[in-house]
Amino acid sequence: MNRTNIVGIYDDHDVVLNAIDKIQGNGFKVKDVFSPFPIHDVWEKLDLHTRIPFATFLYGASGTAMTFAFLYWSSVVNYPLKFGGKPLNTLSFIIILFVLTILVGTVLTFITYLWREKMWPGKKVELPDPGTTDDKFAILIEKSADLSDSEIEAINSLLKETGALEVKESNVSYHEK
Amino acid sequence: MYNTRVRGILIKGNKSYDQVTREILTPIYAPSAPTWWKIAAFVATVALLLGVWAIYVTISTGIGTWGLNNNVAWGWAIINFVWWIGIGHAGTAFSIFLLIVRQKWRTSINRAAEAMTIFAVMAAGLFPLIHMGRIWDGFFIFPYWNTRGPLWDNFNSPLFWDVTAISTYLTASFLFWYMGMIPDFAIIREKAASKLRRKIYGVLSFGWLGNAKGWLRFETAALLMGGMAAPLVVSVHSIVSMDFAVAVIPGWHTTIFPPYFVIGAIFSGFGMVLTLTIIMRKLYKFNDFITDGHLDAVTRILTFISLIMGTAYMTELFVAWYSGSEYEMFTFMKNRVTGDYTFAYWSMITCNALIPQLFWFKKIRKNITAVFIISIFINIGMWFERYVIVVTSLSKDFLPSGWATYQPTFIEIGIYIGTLGLFLLGVLLFFRYVPMIAISEVKHVLKETTTDEAFTEDNEH
Repeated sequence: MNRTNIVGIYDDHDVVLNAIDKIQGNGFKVKDVFSPFPIHDVWEKLDLHTRIPFATFLYGASGTAMTFAFLYWSSVVNYPLKFGGKPLNTLSFIIILFVLTILVGTVLTFITYLWREKMWPGKKVELPDPGTTDDKFAILIEKSADLSDSEIEAINSLLKETGALEVKESNVSYHEK
Repeated sequence: MYNTRVRGILIKGNKSYDQVTREILTPIYAPSAPTWWKIAAFVATVALLLGVWAIYVTISTGIGTWGLNNNVAWGWAIINFVWWIGIGHAGTAFSIFLLIVRQKWRTSINRAAEAMTIFAVMAAGLFPLIHMGRIWDGFFIFPYWNTRGPLWDNFNSPLFWDVTAISTYLTASFLFWYMGMIPDFAIIREKAASKLRRKIYGVLSFGWLGNAKGWLRFETAALLMGGMAAPLVVSVHSIVSMDFAVAVIPGWHTTIFPPYFVIGAIFSGFGMVLTLTIIMRKLYKFNDFITDGHLDAVTRILTFISLIMGTAYMTELFVAWYSGSEYEMFTFMKNRVTGDYTFAYWSMITCNALIPQLFWFKKIRKNITAVFIISIFINIGMWFERYVIVVTSLSKDFLPSGWATYQPTFIEIGIYIGTLGLFLLGVLLFFRYVPMIAISEVKHVLKETTTDEAFTEDNEH
């Protein structure tokens, strides 16, 4: 969906954090922040969360369960053989369970990450400012229809006051969440 | 978040973010590779082709072209397999262990270390494939539904555990490595001048945006994947050691093997990381990123690990004596310390337990040439360690009428040279087309680790 955004370009992450505080303090919503590296405090300020850890736990647990089910069925139910004269061979399953849990967890976590981020090889993307991959930071505020002209003016001047090198408008579309 | 301090400034030269990007991307943007790169790539390709030919002979004619016999049924193939896996462990240890304990100094080295892991594990993975003999029946090793019972694998065998462990290790390392590279590929995509470069790195960067939620998911997923891959460092090489430890012959059947192998793997891996990063920083002038402080940290770790190796060797000798078993005593005292394999044994002791002790001396740690030479010796010593373990115990085990000697044939040596070529070629391609240092990670720690206010030289102790 094409929406117009007001973009403020900065060159220091501490300045960006202050700017976000000021903008939110004035009642405006920061839609997104672009940066060349992760800034942990931004996630708190924008109240962002992820459920990937929960998903990973599920994948790992189910990986263990499925692997154990297969090993048990094949070695105890389907074609039981005694190795080394031991009555119970299931103890050695621990090693395969351990390793395959990691494999299932890692692969599925990676796929979940790509899926949630809507990333795939060759996806075309346009950034509001290409410098944000290099050395610039960008604060995006949505220029929605219900913002009055004076509010837009206020946003522009807030961005400039808080240290923006450049304030511009951009209507590149991308998924935000 | 990260609040551990390391000796000295981590990234020298008071660089700006853009400067970091430009300096690290210089080798990729160079119009053509430097001459030394082309020569090295040529040598690597020749070595690789030799390996391909040797593998062709192995598969078409058979394992009889190797020097193995009834008694010494494992030789250079498994020695080299364990050697390469050991080297591969350093990437994961470096990158992931240091991530989990929040060590900022990992950011200059982790990308190269992980790349090294990928190519080392690829080289190692060749050996289980080609040693099968009838590689076209290779699918037998997987538990698939068959009409022979169905006959399943022996899930109690370390040889099967190896299959799962090595595949998992390769996959997990590759995914973690690739994930970390996505933001850096996006940098190249945005800066690309040529359409082709933009297209290729655009494909590789998966549409990376660099927005807040994207970074949140990225950091979370990376930490989770890293957290899961970290136990692999310990478990994979323990599993490999079980290939030997579950056998009954003296010198193999010992509970010290899992920790012994894991520590040895980290040892040889760190040695190889030193070798590679010293070359990298010399040829690409990355001294500001891979500082003397970084190399100092690694050499100190190596001193400590070398002490552990020495302790392990002494433990083996002590336990052999303490056990009262004449077979154990023979294997260690008459067949390693003295006897036919004494050269290999003492090379191992010297290169692993004695030479790295030179790193106690600051003068030697500061002398990068000395560090480089010692890192090569470490890997030579670790190769000899695997040779001593495999060949001495097999060659003279319980029954003297079954004793035999082992000489590698040209084919086995050729395969080894081929893996060296594969590794070298992989590393060279990595140097040319992938950012060697994790750009976004370095930027993340840049502000707190560049200025003198953040660090004082008193931290040097």
